[in-house]
Amino acid sequence: MPITKTIIKINNLNKSYKKEQVLKELNWQVNQGDIVGLLGKNGAGKSTLLKSLLNIEEIDSGEITLFGEKHQHLTAQIKGRIGYVPQENDEISWLSISDLIKFRKQFYHQWSDEKVAELIERWDINTKKTIAELSPGQVQRVLIILALAPMPELIVFDEPAAALDPAARREFLKEIVSLASDENITIVFSTHIVSDLERVANKVAILEQGKICYFDDLDTTKENVVQLTIRQTDENDIDVPNVLRCRKYQQGQNCVVSKLDQNWLVEMRNKGVEITVTPMGLEDIFLELTL
Amino acid sequence: MDQFTISPSSGVPIYKQLFSQIERMVLNGYFPVGDHLPSVRQVATNLEVNPMTVSKAYGLLEERGYLTRLRGKGMVVAQRDEAVSQQEKFKMLNKMIEELLIQAQQMGINEQEVIALVAKNATENSPKSKKDKE
Repeated sequence: MPITKTIIKINNLNKSYKKEQVLKELNWQVNQGDIVGLLGKNGAGKSTLLKSLLNIEEIDSGEITLFGEKHQHLTAQIKGRIGYVPQENDEISWLSISDLIKFRKQFYHQWSDEKVAELIERWDINTKKTIAELSPGQVQRVLIILALAPMPELIVFDEPAAALDPAARREFLKEIVSLASDENITIVFSTHIVSDLERVANKVAILEQGKICYFDDLDTTKENVVQLTIRQTDENDIDVPNVLRCRKYQQGQNCVVSKLDQNWLVEMRNKGVEITVTPMGLEDIFLELTL
Repeated sequence: MDQFTISPSSGVPIYKQLFSQIERMVLNGYFPVGDHLPSVRQVATNLEVNPMTVSKAYGLLEERGYLTRLRGKGMVVAQRDEAVSQQEKFKMLNKMIEELLIQAQQMGINEQEVIALVAKNATENSPKSKKDKE
């Protein structure tokens, strides 16, 4: 077994804006090779978490390490291994794209001109134009190219697909898939487009009330969180283990569980209770877990 | 090369969807013994899914004896014992029958009626009776 390396480690992170505390004693750990989809409702603090992680936002308290180094004191070498695609563009708007690329290249000791050329061609970017002249979707693509050019090992995307149309989103997903073939690469991306996450992520994290309230394998999540339709004839309600919510009907109940208890299921079925197990899509699971 | 189809928003994990699809394709001879399966990377790029998901499905198929990993050549359909293969086919049909019986039960249709329905369907749809109709 290869040793799993921890890439991101967060201990007791607190972060507030003025009086509002956004992140509360948040703990989280992301390992090498993980492709993590970070879900959360609007205003849950996804961007704040990602910016705090990268020391773009100053934190109130807590400890964050990236590649084992404290995030406030990263060496240039570690910084070069991290790519970030922000939600809002703050690149110099009057430089042409080709000049912007040349400018950014100076800050890295590793930079793939090949990758840049390939993506510019594939994504049809006119490098003579300036950022200000591009559509929001094209700007986002440029930001992605700038983040990927230094061949980073950790890539943080904040709502990468927000400004992209469906075709461009697919192109972007293809790029993530190709990045993910390298087992050393770790990706964290926040999104509210759950179907994107379902394709490429292997882990899903949910940020709610200032904490990572859920973090598990995507496959395990889909296997665990299921809907049960229980038909019963007698009056007594059946106790359902790990239940998230239940709705009663005349002929039984409809429940969602956070973890299906197989032993219980067999036991109930042997008793003659009719139980149908229905898997749930991630969007429904997300809504159930954040109620 | 769209041999496989997936529905990412289904509650069934993608690796399981791939597993059952390939299992069926091996059992029904779509992929004959010795046939090469597309590489993990090819499938992942085509379906736009995480390569780990494809590896997981392939790994499981290897574990169950459907595929063999050839060094440097990827996955090929394994030579299997005919009896085992037959068993797997029955197992798969059994699962579908179980599901059918549950559905029927929920509609208040008993097993005898289901059996009669299956028998009727089999005679009507057999190639012989179809020819008769023509």
